[in-house]
Amino acid sequence: MFRAIIDNLKGLWSLLVGLSITGRFFLSPQRTTHYPRQVDDPECLASYRGPLELVPADDEGRSRCVSCQMCVKACPGHCLTVVKGDQGKAPKTYLYDFTLCCLCAACVESCPAGAIRFSHRVYLVATSREALHLDLLADLKSRAAKEAR
Amino acid sequence: MNSLNFINPFGVREEPGSVVGDFYTANFSRKARPDTIILNLGPQHPSTHGVLRVIVELDGEYVVRAEPILGYLHRMHEKMAEVKTPWQYIPNMGRVDYLHPLAWNWAYVGAAERLAGIEVPERAEYLRVISCELNRISSHLMWWGAFVMDLGGVTPILYAFEEREKINDILQIVSGSRLTMSYFRFGGVSSDIDDRFERLTREFIPYLRERLKMYKGLVTDNVILRRRLEGIGPMGLDLCQRYGATGPILRAAGLARDTRRDIPYGVYPKLDLAIPSGPSDDCFGRYLVRLGEIEASLSVVEQALDALPGGPVRIDKAPKANWKLPAGETYFAVEGARGQTCVHLVSDGGRTPYRLKLRAPGFSNLSLFAEAARGTLLADAIAILGSLDLVIPEVDR
Repeated sequence: MFRAIIDNLKGLWSLLVGLSITGRFFLSPQRTTHYPRQVDDPECLASYRGPLELVPADDEGRSRCVSCQMCVKACPGHCLTVVKGDQGKAPKTYLYDFTLCCLCAACVESCPAGAIRFSHRVYLVATSREALHLDLLADLKSRAAKEAR
Repeated sequence: MNSLNFINPFGVREEPGSVVGDFYTANFSRKARPDTIILNLGPQHPSTHGVLRVIVELDGEYVVRAEPILGYLHRMHEKMAEVKTPWQYIPNMGRVDYLHPLAWNWAYVGAAERLAGIEVPERAEYLRVISCELNRISSHLMWWGAFVMDLGGVTPILYAFEEREKINDILQIVSGSRLTMSYFRFGGVSSDIDDRFERLTREFIPYLRERLKMYKGLVTDNVILRRRLEGIGPMGLDLCQRYGATGPILRAAGLARDTRRDIPYGVYPKLDLAIPSGPSDDCFGRYLVRLGEIEASLSVVEQALDALPGGPVRIDKAPKANWKLPAGETYFAVEGARGQTCVHLVSDGGRTPYRLKLRAPGFSNLSLFAEAARGTLLADAIAILGSLDLVIPEVDR
């Protein structure tokens, strides 16, 4: 009987302790990031893996790619298509299907020329699947043109 | 009265002998008593964490029989290993168990390294320990929040997520992802840590220790939680060993078995590893063991950071994307957050492995449920299910 009363009092006290903790956190400042009103610190996004992009070899939007097909062979999702150009080693097509990509970095790590990397396009959205079938050579050209301007 | 002759939820009286429900329900109900009801928990039930389905036979509010039905999340990971090259299969391991991906990552990479006789640089071994233990903490935090939410307390999972986000921030620096991480490669790890990684980890250790004190006041000492858990779902040593349970469930039953100490791998023998084993084999004992493991993992991360040697993080001439496994057979076990995580790898020297067997601890741990839940209240059965820390993708593979 006496023990039951003590137990219940202890139980009641534990509830008060819990409530005081909840109360303390209720009054503490907001911890979440309210996108799009607020965005994350760019430092946190340094290792973010967005869709692949080609590394420019020069200012004119040429790629470092040597069409060796290592990335195509390494990719577990078969999301890359690289076709060698008619003259030299440079590719004439470099297609990338982002809908199949699992961002595993197998292509980036196996590229002997260091020609591909992950972009930091954090807020990329698309309304159709086709919009995520990316032509990386065209993307590289448009980025070079934007830089030249 | 035929056991199949009962009122179904739509109010239609079934004819004797007709099949009610699907294959599992029909077979289950054939053995049912006439005065009980049969209830499907899941596959879409908030307390079954994913797509686990449990058929229970209820006498009033007491569970007479419970039977887990598996396979809703079967994704043929073992078959996929037979059609992908060893390198291509690495990202799969993050998808097997999304809460502790690095344990699976380590099990697969370790098995391949053992088969090929690859020595990993010491710095990489330390980095593996640090990242794997951080990942274990985040897995236990996620379990802690979800378990308390199963019992009706919604707030703690929000606190748990705050810590989990910090670990995700740390592991994102090296692995590039916040879920389904894949950081280990054959012969080392994919990238070295930077100053930010070390700074964030060093800040995180005392921070989480403070928060664990708050957890104690908010949840562990709470009278409602204790009365829901103490003495509920005892899983004795005999039961655990009959079903092959490992991890916190076995340790809560009083046997301090841990792969990290019993079958040492990596640099764990060099680190002082505390292995909490429970004071009781009930739900509360399993709860305490997991919280104890968070503290133990924090201490291991701290030691590993202090002892971190310099040097390369990957061997020279590390296997490339077109690497072939040498012919042979090997077995590698690591300690995951849920128990012993093992990979059995057989190769005939071809482009892809001949066969891969994944031993998921969750599968064995779930087998205990049918026996432990018998005779308990339905609400207690939910508590038992939560205390097993199930990750259904891992159970179904």
